[in-house]
Amino acid sequence: MSVSDPGRGRSLLWTALLLIVVFAVVPALLASAGRSYLYQVANLIMIFSLLSVSMHLVTGVAGLLQLGHAAFYGVGAYCAALLATHFKLSIGITLPAAGLAAGLVAFLVALPTMRLVSIYFAVATLGIGQMLYVVMLNWVPVTKGPNGILLFGGLQFLGFDLSKPAPAYFFVATVVSVSIYVLHRLSHSYYGNALRALREDDQCADAMGIDTARLKLESFTVSGFFAGVAGALWAHTAGYISPADFNFNVSILILSMVVLGGLGSLPGAIVGAVLLIGLPELLREFKAGDYRNIIIGLVLFGAILFLPKGLIGETSALDLVRRQFGRGRSIPGHEGGVGWK
Amino acid sequence: MSEPFLSIRDLGRAFGGLKAVDGVSADIARGELVGLIGPNGAGKTTLFNLISGFTPPSSGEVHFKGRRIDGLKPDEIARAGIGRTFQNLRIFPNMSVFDNVSVGAIGAERIGMLSAFTGRRGVSERISQRGLAALQAVKLIDDAEELAANISYGKRKYLEIARALAMQPDLLILDEPAAGLNETETKALADFIASLHADGMTIILVEHDMKLVMSICRRIIVLASGRKIADGTPAEVKADPAVLEAYLGGDDA
Repeated sequence: MSVSDPGRGRSLLWTALLLIVVFAVVPALLASAGRSYLYQVANLIMIFSLLSVSMHLVTGVAGLLQLGHAAFYGVGAYCAALLATHFKLSIGITLPAAGLAAGLVAFLVALPTMRLVSIYFAVATLGIGQMLYVVMLNWVPVTKGPNGILLFGGLQFLGFDLSKPAPAYFFVATVVSVSIYVLHRLSHSYYGNALRALREDDQCADAMGIDTARLKLESFTVSGFFAGVAGALWAHTAGYISPADFNFNVSILILSMVVLGGLGSLPGAIVGAVLLIGLPELLREFKAGDYRNIIIGLVLFGAILFLPKGLIGETSALDLVRRQFGRGRSIPGHEGGVGWK
Repeated sequence: MSEPFLSIRDLGRAFGGLKAVDGVSADIARGELVGLIGPNGAGKTTLFNLISGFTPPSSGEVHFKGRRIDGLKPDEIARAGIGRTFQNLRIFPNMSVFDNVSVGAIGAERIGMLSAFTGRRGVSERISQRGLAALQAVKLIDDAEELAANISYGKRKYLEIARALAMQPDLLILDEPAAGLNETETKALADFIASLHADGMTIILVEHDMKLVMSICRRIIVLASGRKIADGTPAEVKADPAVLEAYLGGDDA
């Protein structure tokens, strides 16, 4: 049906193009540059793409302001790292285990908080994110506290050794692509429309017979699952994790990616991740040093000021924030204006 | 005698000391088109919210199709077959017209997460059909891919009704659908509501536009200060001294 899925052909083209870039163009460039550091940057961009797309589902599509996403990333990373160091398990097992652990924690967090509306939900995720961070920092017997955990095993999958930069890259690219495909199907379907209705006006969605509490629970859990998968990828490719990788700044970084790309847009979330991870690395090459954080700040500020809907978003960040504060109030800002009413 | 279609029994709701709805009872049969009128603050919208579950009643019962529905959550009541619109237009502005309407069908079909992976067969196909049928009914099919925020006010009014129709409800409750429309648009809306009724839809209509209500409803319920003061044909209601008192004797008439 053309109405339900406009531009299907175009989206197939984009998908093919993206896959060619990820699986052919970028590896070719990386191989010709021949520096393992650049492989790390590429992996980091892909891992953050997955983090940003998983937050896109819950914040961009379902409209729940999530301020603790990095904590679920951390739960996944620690789960994978502990299984790998204590039981010598390979990523074939630690990856799904990390996803399930983070998903379970997200589910348990969502159970009591899903009835919270608007800003209270955001504050709850902020608090829970900080709590999990403090646990990683202070539960020294298990997490080794601020010293973090070293993984010596490298990247083994089904008996193959993927520790070399290029195989590791292809492994991360495959896992991230499949995960993003799943998230894409969820957000571009009638199920995604139900989540969007939740974002636009949850009471009104109720009146349409949509079980909003269940949808919040499901989207939050799925989002947590994929954050956990991203955590396992990070633990195994970086070889070292510490609590600082999963603190509040990282949550805000992921949120910035979603906002910069445009709330509600999955390609936007990827673009946001590529820019906010790639740009600092690029600036590092040019020895921009301490100015890079200022430049990133300016990019974000400019994006919110001049691109209220991000680069390619469906809804503006200010609308989302306004909705968090003014429940049930109508939203007059569709003229594209900026400001508080 | 079989159970009435919708039965409101001694329904009441107090906000603090204020009785917004006070012991209202009414039976509505399948296929009726009932107007609900009353001066400002009479409790019309509160009564709607009590029926649709947005406000839990303090007393009384609501039965729908033989099932007790007071105390259920709004989404459960919606899935039981009651579709509604809101007094101040509440569409989903950042979604396309078709996607807006699809939400009504999605709620009624109770889709789960797995439906996102089954392609366009089965439930997704049914949702598309329902959505397109609802858009056709309100003649918005040409605007299907337009962003809902970008269509005219008059069209948005129809969009909200179409979204409720996509639920294929057994009972449709419309809260001031003519508010903000000019006389020509109101006339067209009256014809549309009458045609829905002629097709067999049971409708309760809250409306300030007396001409609209008097022209299409064969039964009118009048509320004042939370109580039902009249229930009858337009002619009976117009001649009722209690109604005249409420409308002309009050300070806000």
